[in-house]
Amino acid sequence: MERIQHDITIIGTGIAGMRAAIAAAEKSKDLSIALISKTYPIRCHSVCAEGGINVALRADDSFEAHAWDTVKGSDFLADQDAVEFFVREIPKEILRLDNWGCPWSRSIDGKIAQRILGGHAVNRTVFAADRTGFHIVHTLYERSLRYPNIQKYNEFFVTSLIVENGEIKGLTAINLKNGELTLFKTKVVILATGGAGRIYAFTSCSHIVTGDGMALAYRAGVPLTDMEFIQFHPTGLVPAGGILISEACRGEGGYLLNKNGEKFMKRYAPDLMELAPRDIVSRAIMREILEGRGFEGEFGDYVLLDLTHLGENKIKERLPLIREASIKFAGIDPVSEPIPVRPTVHYTMGGVYARFGGLTQTPVKGLFAAGEVACISIHGANRLGGNALAECLVFGKVAGERAAEYAGRRSMPLNLKAAYLEEEKRLSLFGEGDESAYKIKKELNAAMERHFGVFREEKNMREGIKKIKELKDRYSKVSIEDKSKAFNTDLTFAIEVGYMLDLAEVVAIGALKRKESRGAHYRLDYPKRDDSNWLKHTLAYYTKGGPRFDYLPVTITKWEPVERKY
Amino acid sequence: MSWLKWFEFRGKSIFHLSYSFHRLTGLVLVLYLLMHLSYLTSLTFGREVYEAFIATTVTPTFLIFDILLVLVGVFHGVNGLRLVLHEFGLAYDARRPILYLSYIIAFILWLYASYKLYVFVMGV
Amino acid sequence: MVKEGKDVIFRIKRFDGEKSYWSDFVVPAQKGMTVLEGLFYIKATYDGSLSFRASCRMGICGSCAVKINDRPRLACETQILQLNSSKIKIEPLDNFKVLKDLVTEFEGFFAKHEAVKPYLIRKDESYAEPVELIQKPEELQVYYDFSFCIKCGACFSVCPAAATREDYLGPAAMAAAYRFNADSRDEGRYFRLATICSDGGVWRCHFAAECSEVCPKNIEPAKAIQKLRFQSAVYMINRAFKRW
Repeated sequence: MERIQHDITIIGTGIAGMRAAIAAAEKSKDLSIALISKTYPIRCHSVCAEGGINVALRADDSFEAHAWDTVKGSDFLADQDAVEFFVREIPKEILRLDNWGCPWSRSIDGKIAQRILGGHAVNRTVFAADRTGFHIVHTLYERSLRYPNIQKYNEFFVTSLIVENGEIKGLTAINLKNGELTLFKTKVVILATGGAGRIYAFTSCSHIVTGDGMALAYRAGVPLTDMEFIQFHPTGLVPAGGILISEACRGEGGYLLNKNGEKFMKRYAPDLMELAPRDIVSRAIMREILEGRGFEGEFGDYVLLDLTHLGENKIKERLPLIREASIKFAGIDPVSEPIPVRPTVHYTMGGVYARFGGLTQTPVKGLFAAGEVACISIHGANRLGGNALAECLVFGKVAGERAAEYAGRRSMPLNLKAAYLEEEKRLSLFGEGDESAYKIKKELNAAMERHFGVFREEKNMREGIKKIKELKDRYSKVSIEDKSKAFNTDLTFAIEVGYMLDLAEVVAIGALKRKESRGAHYRLDYPKRDDSNWLKHTLAYYTKGGPRFDYLPVTITKWEPVERKY
Repeated sequence: MSWLKWFEFRGKSIFHLSYSFHRLTGLVLVLYLLMHLSYLTSLTFGREVYEAFIATTVTPTFLIFDILLVLVGVFHGVNGLRLVLHEFGLAYDARRPILYLSYIIAFILWLYASYKLYVFVMGV
Repeated sequence: MVKEGKDVIFRIKRFDGEKSYWSDFVVPAQKGMTVLEGLFYIKATYDGSLSFRASCRMGICGSCAVKINDRPRLACETQILQLNSSKIKIEPLDNFKVLKDLVTEFEGFFAKHEAVKPYLIRKDESYAEPVELIQKPEELQVYYDFSFCIKCGACFSVCPAAATREDYLGPAAMAAAYRFNADSRDEGRYFRLATICSDGGVWRCHFAAECSEVCPKNIEPAKAIQKLRFQSAVYMINRAFKRW
């Protein structure tokens, strides 16, 4: 039995995870910090982020304005005290990244440049070409190399969290190199495992975005919050399974056109047009498609994103990645042709409940969560473009520092052998059935697309829930062909499907229960927002028979909910 | 035997092939150098011994080997100059035209040298 | 979008920990289908034990670099039908130890990257109240392209120096070193050059330049290394004079 011991263990090495590790390492050189990833740190999903980070950096902007835009964008479901804290921390994070080497795009005078993204009133987004997430990830990774007390465990697949008496004690993970189940003993765990976009078929999320941390925390007793709010990014590349076409395209002046060549956004958001918040643009596109004004194609229906009027030079300078992606994956050059797009699953607003007592703290003592995996909630019912990277940085730092303090007050847990042996036994019995995990995933993806998409409706959702329950049943008899130890991706794939089924169930039932439309959750049978009954967060607790639901009021400090018009 | 990896040709570009050829010609030139030096030491045995050696190798039958040797030497020299230029950090962006140019120069020099050799050996 | 397609054969080099062997699979390729999608198709339909790395499927995470028809490429960026071949040969990258099927060891590669100190080094390291550093767009342009290395390992796999010397740092690590040496905000050039200017460092490169040919992001590691050579030479001369 491989046994490893660290003061702080961080699961997930995206922006939030690495920022937490750096924050904890800076707090104290004596803390030993483990960074566990099921891949390598620079291969995390955060590298896919393109557009930029919102920050009130200059004199002509204000924290108030940024916070207000965020709260309004969240359709008033965001906790306003957390948002106010959040916007004030971002400028320092941007400047720290500058000092750590991040190649921010610059304006002519050499200062960090800012541009506009959807839902914000001013030019506020800092960016690094159109690969902002990529550059931040690499900057953080490179910075993390300077701390000898951060140890990386690459390609370790976490299978369970060990919680005893409401306190985290450790976790078990498969070392993919040799297939050995490893026990990690630790005082504090930070979850930074990201979202769960892969429960859908058409998504901008990487293959690794399977909600592992959310499912692990859920099974360990932590409630999941607001899972029914799934963000559909308006422009996913249609022939390529949903690869993201950045909001920056629209920020640089792109138009959305329907079958009739009409700039249809003027009927949905006359002031902001293509730069209205994502849920509004997604619904606009879906409505155009549903009402027959979309194009039909082999890879599904779509509308067009037109960049041809921007000219080759501007596209080459500001949007190189988009142009490359469009050519490589769809054979279309945006300089001369418009791009076929439709809404793609992009972000999970919900997540592990992470403000128990303090920000990033979960109800399990010693378990923290930061980044997309956590729901604090900053984004409420809909996230504004450019706020996710900021969230990862700000709350990664908060979680890292809190974890460091907490670890200083705790002692290392003692005997975890029993928990280890139990997990080993569970895994040895896993996969002895006859159902294909690949088929189950495919059917799960199709069910989520059909029943829990941009537009939702009661009867359709009930069918979807039945389907998910059937899939969970079949999953209990899943089979794993590959019996080898080293790098068994058959096994890890099957475990991921299990995580996704748990999360899909929570999303589905939560969506059915919420009888209103708010932000990204839109119901054809309840199309209006209902503040008197539904200005609250959904909490879902794990039970053997399915999730048990509860609700929590939203924290309002400054802004009473008003109609969300753009 | 890892040095055999210098000579992997499948899927490689002309730059890598030039590298492989540079290594190969280098080896040939080293071997030739050893032969040449041992050849020259025949001088220590007196003029007749040396002249006997010359008579065996500076002949029409050996001409083909001499021409190939010149190719080896010219390629290694011209390619070497190309490498010196680039390894100072210069003209990287023009590396493709410079490569083609160096091949052309090497070829022309080789043709000229072969012609001269032919004339000398055949006594035309 | 017209549906065209044909069946191609994926010939994949497998390794089970002890011996290597080849497996053939028939993949119904359509227009727009990438090699990576083909691999997932094989895994889901024929053989769940086929192991390969993949994540973003949009050419930015660097997980899926494999040898396709003798040339290292990102599987997610390679269109099957554009290869114009009815047999697609897929092998793991050269110069890396194979762990299983198409998955190779990468710890050594990242260790070499770490060895060149690939981070900004500045005299003032207090970040409690960080200050914006000014960098003109022209200064950014000098090193920006080199900062886009996705660490896929393709360059390392075709480098003849890396093939013959275990201790050679490799194109990716040295491109990273140059990226920081050329960053106007950096003040740590001499710390980096101490590692670079060594037997297993920049002097092992003799401009086979294959790295630049296969880099999926066209970051030109060969250019970075030649520029580093010049910097190393200047460094060595300076060091010699200082010794005097």
